[in-house]
Amino acid sequence: MMAATVPTRTNSPSWWTYIQRRKTRNTIFAAFFVLPAVINFLIFRYIPIVWAARASTWQYSLLGGYRDWIGADHYLRALEDPILLKSLQVTFAYVIVKLPLEVALALALAIFTNRAIRGMGTIRTIIFTPVVMSMVVVSVVWALILNADSGLLNALLKTFGLPKQVFLSNPNLSLPSVITATIWKDVGFSTILIVAGLKGIPGIFYEAAVIDGATRWQLFRHVTLPLLRRTLLFVIVTQTIFSFQVFIPVYSMTQGGPLDSTKVIVYYIYQLGFRFQDMGYAAAVSMILLVILLLISVTQMRFLRSDVEY
Amino acid sequence: MQKAYRKSRSWLLALVTIFGLVLAACQPAAPSPAAQSPSGGNAPSATEAKEPVVLKFLKYADPVEAIAFAQIEEEFRALDGGKWSHVSIAYDAVDFENLFPKIETSVAAGVELDLIQADGPDMKHYAWNQVLIPLDEYFTADEKAAFAPQSIEEGSYKGVFYGPPFMQSCSLMWYNQEMTDAAGVQPPQDLADSWTMDQALDAWQKTTVDNDGDGSPDVWGVRWGQGTWAGDYEQGILRRSAGEKGSPTYEGMGADGLTFQGYFDTPEAIDSMQFYQDMHQTWKVTPVEPIPNIFQSKKAAFVVYPDNIIGDINNQYPDGGFTLGVTGIPYFKTQLCHTGSWHYGISANTKHFDEALAFVKFASGKEGSRIYYEALRQLPARLDLLNELPEYDSYPQSLIKQGFEQFGIPRIQTPGYTEYQQVFAEIAQNVAAGADVAQQMTDGAKQIEQLVAKYKGWNE
Repeated sequence: MMAATVPTRTNSPSWWTYIQRRKTRNTIFAAFFVLPAVINFLIFRYIPIVWAARASTWQYSLLGGYRDWIGADHYLRALEDPILLKSLQVTFAYVIVKLPLEVALALALAIFTNRAIRGMGTIRTIIFTPVVMSMVVVSVVWALILNADSGLLNALLKTFGLPKQVFLSNPNLSLPSVITATIWKDVGFSTILIVAGLKGIPGIFYEAAVIDGATRWQLFRHVTLPLLRRTLLFVIVTQTIFSFQVFIPVYSMTQGGPLDSTKVIVYYIYQLGFRFQDMGYAAAVSMILLVILLLISVTQMRFLRSDVEY
Repeated sequence: MQKAYRKSRSWLLALVTIFGLVLAACQPAAPSPAAQSPSGGNAPSATEAKEPVVLKFLKYADPVEAIAFAQIEEEFRALDGGKWSHVSIAYDAVDFENLFPKIETSVAAGVELDLIQADGPDMKHYAWNQVLIPLDEYFTADEKAAFAPQSIEEGSYKGVFYGPPFMQSCSLMWYNQEMTDAAGVQPPQDLADSWTMDQALDAWQKTTVDNDGDGSPDVWGVRWGQGTWAGDYEQGILRRSAGEKGSPTYEGMGADGLTFQGYFDTPEAIDSMQFYQDMHQTWKVTPVEPIPNIFQSKKAAFVVYPDNIIGDINNQYPDGGFTLGVTGIPYFKTQLCHTGSWHYGISANTKHFDEALAFVKFASGKEGSRIYYEALRQLPARLDLLNELPEYDSYPQSLIKQGFEQFGIPRIQTPGYTEYQQVFAEIAQNVAAGADVAQQMTDGAKQIEQLVAKYKGWNE
């Protein structure tokens, strides 16, 4: 008797089937929204990675196409390639110097621009403007500023009675010059992200800390920094990846020289593929870079993981 | 609820429609009538109804050259009563640095290209990779003989002619006469009396001027090369001139096109590059960091440059104001200049071979070459045209013609020229910046050999 009175799910529409339909519809909707991004990632990210992995096992050049399958030979060659080693050293030096400087500067600028002062919007816009400029333009402008003969910086040095410097042709100054240009370009992006992070911190934490007698430094050290950890993680991970992929300023300002002092790994990959007609080896070096970046990103995420919820 | 369901359904429908439209937009465009036109057969006659054909020409971006090509195209279309009036040319012009990579990527991506502007030393690389269609059978012996022998050598691969040239060049040393007069320097006007490097150094030192004594000259003695780059076209002259004619240093590379140790890194070659370094670091007659338009802007007294400097100066100083002189190119043991021609190449991907060939033959012919010369005033690659031009019988252009004929030699001929050029350019940059010269040259020779080893057997 009981069984006959209980409605079954196979009967006409009920609350359960309605939820199921709705779920299905939502899933389809979601899929449509996600689809363009998935297609984009498939076509422009994952398939090229698979393609590059394949190319790295062949003797391959753009003009000559695939010639001989050589297995892991390119990877073995990479182990003994002194220029690859040098380019990795240069790249790490670039990242290790640029990243902390940029993040520290961005943090300082973000804290400064996070105040509700008249005209702060304009200051934020000024800081952010280089971000929307083309990296090629930025590189050319900085190459002009740093020019030994007619550069603005050398004119300033001369005004103070200091000798002219060949910033881009001196192996000791070329990498710092490139780092300066890229920090100028990128710092606005990091600043805006950190400003967003700062705005997300509830004021109640600061009020409570002030009531407890916290100093400004203690507010920054024990409230701001812990609660910014997620934002900082994002900034550090993305800027690490971007920094490892630096190419345009090197190509435009120094062509990797002098004495390979600015030959970062992506420039070397470009040189191998497009100048040395060795796209197979360039693909192998790209795969090595991919692995390095994955390892660094995973490590950063593990170390900078935040347990603080608010 | 049903209303909500209908609403959702209409949204879904709209999304599907938008997605479909996006996909449709991503489809390759329907081929134009020109692209569908079968042109692999015989050339159409003037009377036939002809479908329009657009030849895609990947070339070096140069505004003056663009004017020349517009006129060449116009004349070509009017040729033989409008036989080729259905043909037009779509130019894809990129800057010099990016031309080679653009050709590479275009070929790799299977882009439909018809014509390629190829630098002379790269012709063998393109031929080796079968990027170009050999044109040997379309040029008679007489037609080929009309071109300078250096151009024939540059445009050929294993004895097969791949593409005709449309200009030539030979770098000599140009000077600002006001500056040389002020320094009491008299450059020789006869190539037989050309300065050796030491004599030239004396002139460069005398013309280097540091008005405020800050150690950074206001006028530099010399800029060895055009533009702001370094490379084989200019610095290679300096190095190869350190050897006697026919010596390994002079040859620059083994006969196999693959051997560089013992040619590139000889003691004479190292000494010559040491001299190059001293020009920058010890004698300071040339800036370590190149200055754009250093000679044209009167910041250098001498410059090693091809004859298109005449056009540059005329354009920059249309009312005079710059007294240009030319003298022979300084040398250590053997005077030489590197010749260099741009060549027309017909892409192996072309679907309009007949039209492309007709255009190439016209453009590289006497009439097309004359149009090109009149726009750019650069040494013609056609000897019949060169010998007709009266300006090459008098100074300063007479020296260019003499230099080209007497000691103009092509750059090293190997399919691995790009690799060699890239390594040598870096070495020249490093040497100027103060690197250990011997180490740079010996390491460089080894690196080039490793990079070009893939072409083993290319000339067998």
